[in-house]
Amino acid sequence: MFENVIKAPLLTRRFSLELRQEMAWYWQAMIITASLAAGVVISVLILMAAGVPAGELVNEFIVYTLLDAESLKSVLYQASPLIMVGLAGSLAFRARFWNLGLEGQMIFGAIAATGVAIFDIGPTSMRLVSMLIAGMLGGLAWAILPVALKIRWQVNEIVSTLMLNYIAANFLFHLLYGSWKDPKSAFPYSPQYETFERLPDIMSGISLSVPLALVISLIVLWYTVISRSSLYLKFVDKSPSVAIATGIPFTRVILFTVLMSGALAGLAGVMITAGQEGRLTHSFYNGYGFSGILIAFLARNNPLAAIATALLIALLFIAGQSLQVFYQIPFAMVQLIQAILVICVASSDFFIRHRIRRIASGAE
Amino acid sequence: MDIISSWIGNIPEFALPFALAALGLIIIERSGVLALGAEGLMLMGALAGIGTYLVSGNNAIALFSAMFFAALVSLLFAFMVLVLRINQVISGLVLVFFCQGLSALLGTLLDWTNHPVPGLPDISPWLLADLPLIGGLFRQNIVVYLTPLVFLLSGWFLFRSVPGLRLRAVGENPQAADSVGIPVIGYRLLAILAGSALIGLAGAYISVLSTKMWIANMIGGRGWIAVALVIFARWSPWKALAGAVLFGCIEALIPQLAASGIRLPQYFVFMTPYAVTLAVMIWVAAGKSGTSSQPGALGLPYVREERT
Repeated sequence: MFENVIKAPLLTRRFSLELRQEMAWYWQAMIITASLAAGVVISVLILMAAGVPAGELVNEFIVYTLLDAESLKSVLYQASPLIMVGLAGSLAFRARFWNLGLEGQMIFGAIAATGVAIFDIGPTSMRLVSMLIAGMLGGLAWAILPVALKIRWQVNEIVSTLMLNYIAANFLFHLLYGSWKDPKSAFPYSPQYETFERLPDIMSGISLSVPLALVISLIVLWYTVISRSSLYLKFVDKSPSVAIATGIPFTRVILFTVLMSGALAGLAGVMITAGQEGRLTHSFYNGYGFSGILIAFLARNNPLAAIATALLIALLFIAGQSLQVFYQIPFAMVQLIQAILVICVASSDFFIRHRIRRIASGAE
Repeated sequence: MDIISSWIGNIPEFALPFALAALGLIIIERSGVLALGAEGLMLMGALAGIGTYLVSGNNAIALFSAMFFAALVSLLFAFMVLVLRINQVISGLVLVFFCQGLSALLGTLLDWTNHPVPGLPDISPWLLADLPLIGGLFRQNIVVYLTPLVFLLSGWFLFRSVPGLRLRAVGENPQAADSVGIPVIGYRLLAILAGSALIGLAGAYISVLSTKMWIANMIGGRGWIAVALVIFARWSPWKALAGAVLFGCIEALIPQLAASGIRLPQYFVFMTPYAVTLAVMIWVAAGKSGTSSQPGALGLPYVREERT
């Protein structure tokens, strides 16, 4: 009996894995919730180890953010660019394209919009609209090269989009330390936008970027669930060879979807510079690329789930900023917690797809 | 003339991290595991190296501890891809994000940021170091001289030894390897640990011996360039070494240009390694001829129960 156990391969010893055919949705929901809870527990332990008193965590994450009207507004405000990058990530994933270039596309979106603002292009009444459009075009333009290379020569888009991020960041520095630098500021910032170049507040202090994000989510929902392209995208995702064989405009669908992903990332860039910041800064995009990928992954590429996830991440961002101020905890903590949450949720897939059975000793 | 000879002398310092990281990646990917986490593992190695040096004051211990901690963190990746069978692209990306967050956090909380360390003394063999023009190539620290040896050993291991043959078999066709009794998961685990240790050493080389301090996110995309390098090199250690030298030449040129007084827009100069990576990727992909030498099972999880 003992010998049997020793001879069995390491990972199958005493346990066997079976594939599950299907799992009821409530079980799936319970497993995902449990794994998220595990991620939260680990994060809380790390925060406590970093020196935040346990009692304060409840205050930082719930009382000061959700139960306070002003903070709730700032969570919504913070969520809108996150929704955009989350949608951008999920659109590209649907076309089987790993768009890790969200930050580069945000940078070029913001640069294009800031260019419109600095050079006073167009009438002032239309300025904000033209900046938003310029931002989308800027992001779209920065996505052309990687998707074209992927379609034409199968160039690995993970590496190419990341390289383009570094190139975009250096170009941004070139502008902000050079001709676009605000002479009145000691920091590498562009001049402040005029009032009519910033996203205004609508009803009771909620920024225009919030309804804008919601409307765009609905459009993306229509595109990925209802429109004809949604059917094409399903083919592209499930089986590229079948998609080509059945005459689906394969290249066109991928091209269009990825370019839209770039455009949304560019819009996210404008939402930050014309919203929170009010100018182009050297670090406005930090952390958004990762969060976009994460939101797309956690939301399983579903636009509505992306909104919910983005709100959660926005909460984390806001709490992270206040932890930085009050406990000197670096903002990197936010990134670490996000990574832990993704690992936990990704792990839940394993329990949904497999059944672990204990093999009685000596049964082999 | 001075500029050229000091440029040549600087090439090994910049080429070495690329070479070691690419070698580590090749070992992992030859076993069929897609390793995108190099950037993160290099950061962990860089931080662990500096931290250990600041605590112990010993360079050798610092480098070994960097290898140990990078391998330790790679256990998380191994758990994700080998046990939980999470998509290997997602796992690699999450590993990078995890390490970026963790290393920046620890570097600040433990106060290891911006503390300069002395590095290692150069060893100059008699006569060689006095050669004109290329003498600088022989004024390097011990790690540089040992690296060709590491490559020789790894090349021999992968292509001339039985365990190396098994490792490649696991990467080409895990079903077949399993059917002759090769422990697929075991080989992949060892490949991940060994490769990650090399990648960690690459990171520590940058922090402990080259930059000589820790700054958050100091790897600055070199891990991703190493990932691209492995693709250009078609998973061959010797071609990867050649590629690393090429990138070393480019990176070593950047401080030379700044020092030479030629007026160039500096941020465009900083772009060059990334732009060159992109250009070489296009060149290689566009000229791709016939068969690819990518390991057959790269990126596919192996589950005996799910045999197809």
